[in-house]
Amino acid sequence: MTGSAHAIETHRLTKRYGQARGIDDLDLVVEAGEVFGFLGPNGAGKSTTIRTLLDFQRATSGDAEILGLDVRRDSVAIHRRVGYLAGELRLFDTMTGDEHVRWFSRARGGHDEALTTSLIERFQIAMERPVKQLSKGNRQKVGVLLAFMHRPELLILDEPTSGLDPLMQTVFEDLLRETVRDGRTVLLSSHSLDEVQRVADRVAIIREGRLVVTDSVRHLRANAPRILRLRFDADVDPALFAALPGVAQAASRDGQIELHLTGELRPVLETALRHPLVDLTARHADLDELFRSYYAAPGSERGPEEAS
Amino acid sequence: MNVEIATLDLSLRRRSTIGYCVGMALYVLVVVVLYPSFKDAANLDQLTESSPGVAALFGISGSLTSPTGWLSANIYANFFPLLILLVTIGYGAWCLAGQEADGRLELVLSLPFSRRRVVIQKLLVLTILASVFSLVVFLFVLVGRRFDLTFSVANVAGATLGVALLGIDFGLLAVVLGAATGSRGTAVAIAAAVGAASYLISSMAPLVDWLEPFRYASLFYWATGNGQLDEGLSWTSFGVLAGLGIVLSLLSVLAFERHDMSA
Repeated sequence: MTGSAHAIETHRLTKRYGQARGIDDLDLVVEAGEVFGFLGPNGAGKSTTIRTLLDFQRATSGDAEILGLDVRRDSVAIHRRVGYLAGELRLFDTMTGDEHVRWFSRARGGHDEALTTSLIERFQIAMERPVKQLSKGNRQKVGVLLAFMHRPELLILDEPTSGLDPLMQTVFEDLLRETVRDGRTVLLSSHSLDEVQRVADRVAIIREGRLVVTDSVRHLRANAPRILRLRFDADVDPALFAALPGVAQAASRDGQIELHLTGELRPVLETALRHPLVDLTARHADLDELFRSYYAAPGSERGPEEAS
Repeated sequence: MNVEIATLDLSLRRRSTIGYCVGMALYVLVVVVLYPSFKDAANLDQLTESSPGVAALFGISGSLTSPTGWLSANIYANFFPLLILLVTIGYGAWCLAGQEADGRLELVLSLPFSRRRVVIQKLLVLTILASVFSLVVFLFVLVGRRFDLTFSVANVAGATLGVALLGIDFGLLAVVLGAATGSRGTAVAIAAAVGAASYLISSMAPLVDWLEPFRYASLFYWATGNGQLDEGLSWTSFGVLAGLGIVLSLLSVLAFERHDMSA
């Protein structure tokens, strides 16, 4: 393995299902040694991308490499070095966690005994009961174990924390940090920004099968729109501000006017000062707001879900 | 060679396989134990002679009271092939399409096995299931030698092999259909429909003139419909059954290698 090889690299990767959209011209680079957040609403194409990377289905066009290997031609070699946790995990109902571990170990030709033992302990996994008797969260923990137990170089995790309680989510996030500290790589697919921004170095946002943006979490935050709240000692129509350059959104809220500003501050201030301005606060949008603004970009049928 | 996929499937099918085998063993045992009470019942033969159509529906032709006629009418011409089809079509449709639909095949495919090796191990299990089931039938038919059933062991072994291959072929058909469509229902429905048509053609052909030429298209004819219990399995019959099995095996690999797993 060369040090410069990307963990994952796709080039104009496209998957169509007849008329239906899968993913479209996806260019994605995941560097070795990072947690890469793959964000998008349900149905955006996250699972389609992952399933194509793992050769469960074949791309309509474009190509992709994992650890420098072709996902189609070298799928067996890739699977040996990857741990995968499915979005809708299904285990073998009648088998216990222990039996799953033994079977996966034999199928893969081994596993890391010490790591497995420590994961069972940290996640408090019930290993002796048939998985059909376990709750969704406890089954999910078995899935996490199966993905990590052979210490793979790359982890592809599709909605990994679904069903995990908050305490276990924290344990899981620690595990992800340790994994990249080890020089290994994590592709973390999620619809929850909250989860991703705590652990990911970089994120890609996918919407309707297309990549909307790829950036570092820090940079995304820095470029997020500012949110201004103006309080007046009189009724002021928010429409006055909506028309100004650089104002993406203007609304009355709790007797104040809230503006999403992407441009210069000056025109807003000039307009505000013509009215009895009492107070002004400004902050950067958090990623959640940013996230929603990408989802609601032109072309989507539904706007951002704002509480009124 | 790593055969973990095969051992997993065998363990998952263990209970139902034991169930089928025990049920069939009991049935065969009852049939052979009853033979001494019926072997001199000439009116049974009159029954089939007077209404050959009804008899043919049950796959019966010729004497009911001769040893091989008794085995054919009660086991080899109907229950044995139909039950082995239940086992093999059931497994064939489940092993790829069924596991795909319930999301578990994905777990297996995420491991370092090529698609081809996955299919080969599934076909191995199919062969084992059909062989075990057939062997159970054969062993309990052999018990009949203590109950006045006199027959050539070699010929009955040949007939048993024929039915085992019949089961494998229909199981393979279900595997191919499942690998191509990803639908367990489609695989079961088409394989079972072809099986039913095949059975009817072979059993009715001796009575219905226009069906006569079509019996060569029926696998039942090659497995049980051609006096196999008395004459053994001919090389031609073996060739047809085994040859089709090889073709279907290759098709199942090709179909699964091209298959897009559904989410």
